[in-house]
Amino acid sequence: MTMNRLDDPRIVKIDRMRYAKNTFSSGLTYLAILFNVFYFVSIYESDVGSWYYQILIGASIVYNLVFMLMTFLASEGVKNYKMGYSVLLLVAGAGQIIRIFILPLMAYQATVTISKVTYPVMEKPQLIWVIICLAASALCCFVAGLVGVYRSRKLAAYNATLNQTVA
Amino acid sequence: MANISLKHLDKIYDNKVQAVFDFNLEVKDGEFIVLVGPSGCGKSTTLRMIAGLEDISSGQLLLDGKDITSAPAKDRDMAMVFQNYALYGHMTVYENMAFSLTLRKEDPNVIHRKVLAAAEILGLTDQLNKKPKQLSGGQRQRVAMGRSIVRSPKVFLFDEPLSNLDAKLRGATRREILLLHKRMNATMLYVTHDQTEALTLADRIVCMSMGHVQQVGTPLELYDTPANLFVASFIGLPPMNFFDVEIKDDKAVNQYFTVALTEDEQKMLAAYQGKTVVLGVRPENIATGGDVDVAVFSNENLGMNTLVHGRLCGSAAANAAITCKLRGWCDYKAGDHVQVKFEKRHFFDKETTNAIR
Repeated sequence: MTMNRLDDPRIVKIDRMRYAKNTFSSGLTYLAILFNVFYFVSIYESDVGSWYYQILIGASIVYNLVFMLMTFLASEGVKNYKMGYSVLLLVAGAGQIIRIFILPLMAYQATVTISKVTYPVMEKPQLIWVIICLAASALCCFVAGLVGVYRSRKLAAYNATLNQTVA
Repeated sequence: MANISLKHLDKIYDNKVQAVFDFNLEVKDGEFIVLVGPSGCGKSTTLRMIAGLEDISSGQLLLDGKDITSAPAKDRDMAMVFQNYALYGHMTVYENMAFSLTLRKEDPNVIHRKVLAAAEILGLTDQLNKKPKQLSGGQRQRVAMGRSIVRSPKVFLFDEPLSNLDAKLRGATRREILLLHKRMNATMLYVTHDQTEALTLADRIVCMSMGHVQQVGTPLELYDTPANLFVASFIGLPPMNFFDVEIKDDKAVNQYFTVALTEDEQKMLAAYQGKTVVLGVRPENIATGGDVDVAVFSNENLGMNTLVHGRLCGSAAANAAITCKLRGWCDYKAGDHVQVKFEKRHFFDKETTNAIR
């Protein structure tokens, strides 16, 4: 019975998911974490010179920790075709997009005055770099999440047909 | 599958110790050969030479007529199952079984089919997502076998695969190996020091001692017509009893008993008149009601049989100890005397230790 079912290559591909992990999505999730690290290494170089921005940076640090913990857990979940973790990755990706419009843009628009000379807090090249990092991180999360959702649904549907066959 | 020819194989280690001497064997396609012998007799070394894990010092190894004496292990198309399973602890059963094929970069769909087919044969389908540490010893050994099966090798090599299992599991796994051989009809070479495994599994047994082949034959041949004293003592449980006897006319005589020889035995021993030979009797070939007097030491009831340990009457010598496997339930006590007879006898040349035929 099992072997007959596996004569169809499309079925084999889905059946493989019962034993092979979703390493594609989990790998992308690790990549998202890496881009996030590049982002915060770059953004914390900036000297904002104001308590308001220092509070924002503090919040950003806390969010970074939460993001990395969350995506790391999600990478394990999505590896095992857990739908909830795939959705979490989509949310995390959206969060990374939103972050582009908070600290980086604020830092780019802000100036700091030292010895009566005004400097921009963030130069344009740095802004482009941090935007790239966040966007790449978001993209990885989105793709990992979407692939995770797709595969989880397929596997769940396939498992349901197997259970029906057994019943 | 495959025919294997081993011609004059020797193994000499760098420290000049010779582990295998002039090993010759022809293994036919689909045959199940068991190499049996005590620890250190060279059986595992021979298997490792066949697998390519040990260099062959001299001699020739042919697989289907092709010389593979110097071929690296990976090119021999043989799969080996080890005593300690050699599974990857961080991989699942599925990944362990698929690993060798993944390394070969085979199509994942083909790998999947092969792994599922092997798992079905071995009853591992429900265990595929588990890690080896979650499995019992028997299941781990089945995974190790599954890893071999998926490769579809020409020859399967087993190096004491059941030694780590308890007695019950060993029996069950032994039957599985036998079933596997019947189902796959593959050429298999199996190393063990356990004669029960050898007798139950083998098409032919190669009995080894001190690096030398002592006898090659079917299990029945080794049991019924052992080639020498070593084989006679090694095959059979409890082991065969041995006594020095002098051949005098139509009798075999020693200081404790006299045995009348049959006509066939007289012809066979004609050249040994007046000489001392070794008389061998298996415990199960001893029955009550003869004229050999045994002083009982201990009595072990096994249900259908009783093992009686004792000494030939009037003796204190170690070589007069005797074990009898008597039919039925007996209740002898230490010090009791029992009269026995030897129903089937083997004779061996005392100098060469070879069987007299």
